[in-house]
Amino acid sequence: MKGVNILRWVVIGGALAFLIGPFFVILGAALSGGNTLAFPPEGLSLRWFEKIFQIRSFRASFGISMFLAVFGTLAALALGIPASYAMARYKVRGAELVRIIVSSPIIVPGIIVGLGLLRYLVIPTGVGITPALFCAHTAIVLPYAVRVVSASMENLRADIEEAAVLLGCSRLGAFVRVVLPNIRGGILAAFILGFITSFNEVPVGLFLSGPGVTTLPIDMIGYMETTYDPSVAALASLLAFLSIGIVFAAERFIGLSRYV
Amino acid sequence: MSDYVTLENLRLAYGDTVAVPGLDLGIRQGELICFLGPSGCGKTTTMRAIAGLLMPVSGRILIDGRDVTRMAPSKRDVGLVFQSYALFPHLSVYENVAFGLRLRREVGLDAKVRAGLATVGLERFADRVPSELSGGQQQRVALARSLVMQPKVLLLDEPLSNLDARLRLEMRLELQRVQKETGITMVFVTHDQTEALALADRIAVMRDGQIEQMGTPEEIYARPASVFVADFVGFETILPQPDGTWQAWRPGAVVLGSGPHRARVLGVSFAGERRDVILETLFGRIKADLPAQAPAPAAGDDIAFDLPPARAVQLDRA
Repeated sequence: MKGVNILRWVVIGGALAFLIGPFFVILGAALSGGNTLAFPPEGLSLRWFEKIFQIRSFRASFGISMFLAVFGTLAALALGIPASYAMARYKVRGAELVRIIVSSPIIVPGIIVGLGLLRYLVIPTGVGITPALFCAHTAIVLPYAVRVVSASMENLRADIEEAAVLLGCSRLGAFVRVVLPNIRGGILAAFILGFITSFNEVPVGLFLSGPGVTTLPIDMIGYMETTYDPSVAALASLLAFLSIGIVFAAERFIGLSRYV
Repeated sequence: MSDYVTLENLRLAYGDTVAVPGLDLGIRQGELICFLGPSGCGKTTTMRAIAGLLMPVSGRILIDGRDVTRMAPSKRDVGLVFQSYALFPHLSVYENVAFGLRLRREVGLDAKVRAGLATVGLERFADRVPSELSGGQQQRVALARSLVMQPKVLLLDEPLSNLDARLRLEMRLELQRVQKETGITMVFVTHDQTEALALADRIAVMRDGQIEQMGTPEEIYARPASVFVADFVGFETILPQPDGTWQAWRPGAVVLGSGPHRARVLGVSFAGERRDVILETLFGRIKADLPAQAPAPAAGDDIAFDLPPARAVQLDRA
């Protein structure tokens, strides 16, 4: 029995090291005092954390990534909440098809989405990179929005809307007063999940980048190609802390793990 | 007295499926009417049409002299207590009851909500949320939420079916008391004949979207108009007669131990005051009962029995 116990801890420890280990390597490299990206770090210093705030292009691409993550996710929710509602409440003809189409951005590789948008949207129509990125990020987040919101809608009985209607609400009023407050947690969870997914998106951003318009992950890759210093590690660590902070806060206030 | 609620040749359908082909019904003011019938008989459908949750294909609905057929549910002054209560899970008991009044911007809201909660004995639970209440308490909240709106008609969908036996009796008395106090016209739907007989002023027994029989509980119980109704209100032995009519007996009307017929006892089960006895006879299976003190036959016994014509009810249609 004791052997089994030890084996169990070895497996769990191995899995944890595999999952979280890279983060500590990056954090270590970011705290390095040396001039090149290296682990273990050569001495300790916070100067790379200072440096990233002075790099102009990082500030610009951070702004773009932030914009895409916030507004792309909001747009996905604006499409996804009514879609989830319709599929949960009505026998929509072809609901299964809609479900598949809506989830297709998860299934279709990002490289294909990126290349497709570049070749058939940006090049022929001359539409800007930013609108194309916005569309792409909305589509990428949509499956998460629909899935998470649908799950929270499932636990909600349809007759509470009828009750609200009989007490004087319009159909829309019943949705706003009775449905929305009860799926609030699901919507917030979908927003957080969508935000993080969008912010970390690489393959589409790889294709959709142009002069002065690049998402932060792509900008970081580009930076590393020319400058092999620990500032990228410092930035990656900050972003990781941001994500962890958001997820912890969400877990604390809405119980994120109930929804995802 | 003229009718307060009138259904005129009401035709109801879900898509292509006609649930109620053409219904006529009058309900008087202050009356407690019960729609009684098996599932699929159209009772809930009819109730949803009165509430405005289902648009009729044709026909008219009048409430207090007003044609409400095409009117939005919120304009009809109709309350509905749902089978599952349909309380708003994110609102406190107080806010659930206040919901409709707030939409109306009613003056003296607080007093009305407090009075509504007092009517159902839940003053102390105002700050709870529905999930912290028992089924019976949730039901009371749903009732209060409808009552404070002072609807012209209160509809109740299987109001007692989710409660346990003791609560059911309590809630039945509660409903009768509330109805007496408020004088409100109530329509409730059930498949439980005991509930219907105990509560209703008049019962409409429904079958396939039609009213099979309408009458007081006493009438329905003593003089069912058809085999269907008789079967529904507890006549267990229904036998066709040579002239194409039927005769029906309740279990208590079957005489055991003497008589011209013989039967084999299939089973005996104890039911408190009496024992239920199932017999295999030449006419098929019938149910009799015996006082619990009487000597009980055993399964497999051969026994004499009689179906006295004097205690039979005559039925002219199926």
